[in-house]
Amino acid sequence: MATRASVERLPYGIGRWSAGWVAVTGLSLAVLALGVFAFARQLIEGEVVTGLRNIGTMGGATWGLYVAFIVYFGGVSFAGITIAAMIRLLNLKHLRPISRMALVLAVISIILAALSVLIDLGQPFRALINLPLYGRPMSPFFGTFSVVISGYLFAGLVYLYLDGRRDAAICAERSEGVRQTFYRLWAAGYRGTPAERERHQRATFWLAIAILPLLVIATSTLGFVFGLQVGRPGWFGALQAPGFVILAGVSGVGHIIVLAAILRRVLGAEDQLNPHVFQWLGNLLMILTATYLYFWAAEWVTTSYAGHHHEVALSNALLTGEYAWLFWLSVGSLLVPFLLLARQFVTGQYRLGVMVVSGVLVNVAAIGKRILIVIPSQTHGTLLPYGTGSYSPTWVEYSVVLGLLALGALLLTLFMRVFPIVEIPQYAEGG
Amino acid sequence: MPRYGMVVDLDRCTGCRACMQACKVENNTPRGSFFMHVFRFETGEYPNTRISFMPRPCMHCDNAPCVKVCPVGARYKRADGLVATDFDRCIGCRYCEVACPYGVNYFNWKSPNKNYYLNWEDPELIQITKGGRVPYSNPDLENRYGKEQRRIAGGGHLKGVMEKCTFCVQRVEKGLQPACVNTCPTFALRFGDLDDPNSDVSLLLRQKQHFRLLEEVGTKPRVFYTGSQHPPGGDVRQIEEVQGRV
Amino acid sequence: MRRTLTLVFVLGGFALQAISYFFLAAPLGAQVNEAFSNPRVPFAALLFVLGVMAVFLAAVVYELLPERYGE
Repeated sequence: MATRASVERLPYGIGRWSAGWVAVTGLSLAVLALGVFAFARQLIEGEVVTGLRNIGTMGGATWGLYVAFIVYFGGVSFAGITIAAMIRLLNLKHLRPISRMALVLAVISIILAALSVLIDLGQPFRALINLPLYGRPMSPFFGTFSVVISGYLFAGLVYLYLDGRRDAAICAERSEGVRQTFYRLWAAGYRGTPAERERHQRATFWLAIAILPLLVIATSTLGFVFGLQVGRPGWFGALQAPGFVILAGVSGVGHIIVLAAILRRVLGAEDQLNPHVFQWLGNLLMILTATYLYFWAAEWVTTSYAGHHHEVALSNALLTGEYAWLFWLSVGSLLVPFLLLARQFVTGQYRLGVMVVSGVLVNVAAIGKRILIVIPSQTHGTLLPYGTGSYSPTWVEYSVVLGLLALGALLLTLFMRVFPIVEIPQYAEGG
Repeated sequence: MPRYGMVVDLDRCTGCRACMQACKVENNTPRGSFFMHVFRFETGEYPNTRISFMPRPCMHCDNAPCVKVCPVGARYKRADGLVATDFDRCIGCRYCEVACPYGVNYFNWKSPNKNYYLNWEDPELIQITKGGRVPYSNPDLENRYGKEQRRIAGGGHLKGVMEKCTFCVQRVEKGLQPACVNTCPTFALRFGDLDDPNSDVSLLLRQKQHFRLLEEVGTKPRVFYTGSQHPPGGDVRQIEEVQGRV
Repeated sequence: MRRTLTLVFVLGGFALQAISYFFLAAPLGAQVNEAFSNPRVPFAALLFVLGVMAVFLAAVVYELLPERYGE
């Protein structure tokens, strides 16, 4: 039974109730319940309760909000692990405080991506058996469920586990009972000897090296799911895979900035999550955003100069037609952050508020762009003259997606309740 | 091993859509599923318009994008050329549908029993029909076919799986013609073995100029179109669209 | 011992991935008959995933193997 005194010594609010934590967790549970209810409706009635319909004679889109979020969550996860790996490989000591939250974000995100895949399937329970049993490497989907989902998830969990052993050992010293057993299991006998530290450095170094190519392959596979489809104007092309990787980076870094800013306030960790950390993240986001705008521009130039009439029709639907509102909202939500971050970089005056706003806006853009990739090529991109279709998500789809986001928030708050989300600083080790 | 293909004579097609009806009855496809679909096209501006029709079954492509992308091998190409969907294995990811350039795939968005133009599970209906079954269901559709012995025939089997034209595999394996070919009153549709030099389809392909839809995407379809029409280009629009939304 | 075991996990993991991807799962290439839709060995995809996991488990082995097993 943990005593008040010992719980007091656990850092970052672990084991302590706070009004804010209860509020966030309670709200997340409520929204999650709504999502579960909506999904239950879908399981019972079939996917007719969504706005999805067949391409062609039915004039619909068969992949919609769910698939857009599969890609979005996969992308955020990619960026999370990549940042953690880069911090280790480039020995960016001042960025170590965000390493763990990036990993947690990555693990939570890939769980949400996996759930999104199952939710989108017509026969999800069958898939749990048939995918491992019959999975075909020729299908780009094979890469999604094998490398993306199991690879990211497992790599992220291993990295998180090894990285957390030291903090687990510290927390074990400061707790009692069940809580202590949990920390001891995680620490697995970590004593902080020089030999152990060296082994840890070496292991995480090689792990980071192994993770990076895996992640690039995995996110590219996600891009290939779309880029290899010759029958879908707007999808078919070599730029999809690299574009996916860059936009993944954009949304992930944006997430980390927002998360770090929130945690800085909530945990009072101004020392570790200092302006230097945010400056670095802000500059990285600026570069990635610029790169993605370049990809987007290159796509547009190619299509408008010499695109097939299907591609031109699709492009028109995006720029001036049915999807124009979302298109310009997404472009704006990338351009404005880029300009704000560039101004920061040039003047050298970094403001946290600017970066948080940028982090939120680039994620709005990322979600918008994922939707713009997935849907218009189906409603406005049939190669045979079926006429244009339409797609509007229903309350079921919105509820399920909100439920997934709530689940993510819930997993985060639960994690923060039991484990330090920011690495315990060196000087705190003895105390 | 036969190499099946279909030839459609666009000059003979009158747009009667008997083939669509026959396909529906033979394959028990639910509302909104049109394994065989006939386009009605219009080109030009009124009063100088031209109307034409184009039947569109599944192309059963030799380089089928749908076969390549199926994650579990539910959609597969048989040695005789038919591209089939195993509804026991399908997980409903709908990847074949987005991959298909021709739009021939139909997903079961709801339980087929609630989707045959009436809700056959409605208690009032069950009372009236004293059973609540769809009025006619083809018993051949539940059997296993081919050397591989998989269940691939027909439509309306299960909520959450994908289906499409099978060139009526349940009829072809008995030596019959697909339902659409059998029903066409003007013999616009022909089906047979492309490797048999004396079959209908081989003779037609030797005698007449023909094209295939969307040749440029490299799918190598097995459905050939003869007649004086061109493949539908950018100036063609569909009129009298099939209202197929469930 | 530690290094050998780690290497076994890494190389074994990659080998398992390559073998299951190219030889045990459904064949790659032009899909001309029903054999291309079936894995040569059932659950080949699961073996592939286990290969991926083995490579990452190597890091855990390297760090967690008790001292007495030496370097």
